[in-house]
Amino acid sequence: MLKLDKLSKSFGGILATDDVSLELKPNSINAVIGPNGAGKTTLFNLITGKISLDKGQIFIGNKNITNLTESEITHLGVARAFQITNIFPTLSVKDSIKVALLAKQHGLNNMWNRFKTHSINNKAEIIAKLSGLTKSYDTISSELSHGDQKLLDIALALALKPKVLLLDEPTAGMGPEERWKMIDRIQKLWKKTKMTVLFIEHDMDIVFDTAQNIYVLQQGSIIAEGTPKEIKNNKKVIEAYLGGGKK
Amino acid sequence: MLFLNKDNFQRDVFLGLLVWLILIMFYFIFPDPGIHDIIQKVFILGLFAMSLNILIGYLGLIAFGHAAFFASGAYTLGLFLQSDFVSNLASFSIPVAMLLAVLVSGILATLIGAICIRLKDIYFSFLTLAFQMLIYSIILALVNITGGDQGLMGGFPKPPFLGINLGKPFDFYAFTIFISIITIVILRQIIESPFGYGLRMIRDNSERPAALGFSNQKHKLIAFIIAGSIAGLAGSLQALLDVGAYPEWAFWSKSAEPLFMILLGGMHSFLGPLMGALIFEILNDFVTANTRYYGLVLGLVILCFVLGLKKGLLDWILIKFNRK
Repeated sequence: MLKLDKLSKSFGGILATDDVSLELKPNSINAVIGPNGAGKTTLFNLITGKISLDKGQIFIGNKNITNLTESEITHLGVARAFQITNIFPTLSVKDSIKVALLAKQHGLNNMWNRFKTHSINNKAEIIAKLSGLTKSYDTISSELSHGDQKLLDIALALALKPKVLLLDEPTAGMGPEERWKMIDRIQKLWKKTKMTVLFIEHDMDIVFDTAQNIYVLQQGSIIAEGTPKEIKNNKKVIEAYLGGGKK
Repeated sequence: MLFLNKDNFQRDVFLGLLVWLILIMFYFIFPDPGIHDIIQKVFILGLFAMSLNILIGYLGLIAFGHAAFFASGAYTLGLFLQSDFVSNLASFSIPVAMLLAVLVSGILATLIGAICIRLKDIYFSFLTLAFQMLIYSIILALVNITGGDQGLMGGFPKPPFLGINLGKPFDFYAFTIFISIITIVILRQIIESPFGYGLRMIRDNSERPAALGFSNQKHKLIAFIIAGSIAGLAGSLQALLDVGAYPEWAFWSKSAEPLFMILLGGMHSFLGPLMGALIFEILNDFVTANTRYYGLVLGLVILCFVLGLKKGLLDWILIKFNRK
């Protein structure tokens, strides 16, 4: 579904992404792990066109999306949620989702209809339900709990009906219980929507429990990939990452 | 009257016409020309402030050079009515002059906006200011056309059209308020449309829209053009009122006026700037009649609003009555 072919990116001589290749199967759920500064978010920024590539190519299905703009790539089916919650503080949950839905169908140039009574309302409710935001549907985004803000960030991405959903630390800043709830929600979403999901996560228990396939990044390059079982037993990974935490 | 509960275009048209009729009755109940003058000016300046608030309140861009469009509208109308076209067009002169004023201001806003919207924050503000001062200098320099620092001299004819004679105080009063209210109703439609929510989205978070497949720049430019066009319309009404146009209308202090109105009335409610214009005009009338220190009083009042209410009056009222 998503194919990265030898991506490289450096910032001022430091290689943030070093010859990264991977291929996500359709309707799979995958995780990227790696220590801080390994280049996980940079990888997401490269895939979504937020920053430009130095080398390499990116494909969605058979379509080459290398060097397209962030907005174009979004319309081709790649959506993301952000590590630091990235929402619209003064808009309600409902209005935020509606804005995202309209952005997807180029409906925000419309000056003739009223936004409040727009026919998109039904779709927005479905997205809110899918994201578990029904209760806070009319709440102003800045007044939501941290967890709900993260959910809204994901809901905005979902409104785009993506083929590939990138989640940058969906559980960042959450307590253990909240984390599992979030992951549970993501798993349900993934099963319902048949998207291809790639998420960044620090909690190893979550990663091993959730992901079908795991990519381990270190200093910009993939040092290992495989199923949770394979990664658990990979010497390189234990040395570089898992073992490091236990010392 | 069920449809009054619905926030839609028909209701706004109805309410707008109702307010217009009430203000016409008001004209006869209070025959004091001083009051009529204040009401006319409130609508003209209110239109000017509301157009600026598209950028400030809804888009989050603080434009310091908005008077450039006010002045371009005023000068376009004045110059056109002074030209030979008037004798050919006769009774269509004023409508054509006003349309032209809006058009020229809109084109000017397209040119200036296309450059300014690439910048953010203070850089945006100062570039709009720089363009305004450029317009100001051009007006001063083209003495043969604009009358330089004397302003557009000699007045201009106001040929009657459709039975409306703007030379008559009542006709002018009714016409100005009618045009203003219609523009406000249209503006309301734009602000409450998906386009208007696109503006709020950019204001709230200018980074995120790209990840929703949305490009901010075009949206910002269209908003800038709409704001400039409406400011041009306000300028053309002001020129009709004063039968002239003056270079001070393109000076930076003229751009500060709608900013004050927005601060006084509130930037987060649709009619806030209009209420600000009302406060501004009443203050202006009352204070200048009693003291020379107008600037001092205005400054103190704004301080009270900013430090006391921490928002404009209408914003404060709406929050107080929980209508937001």
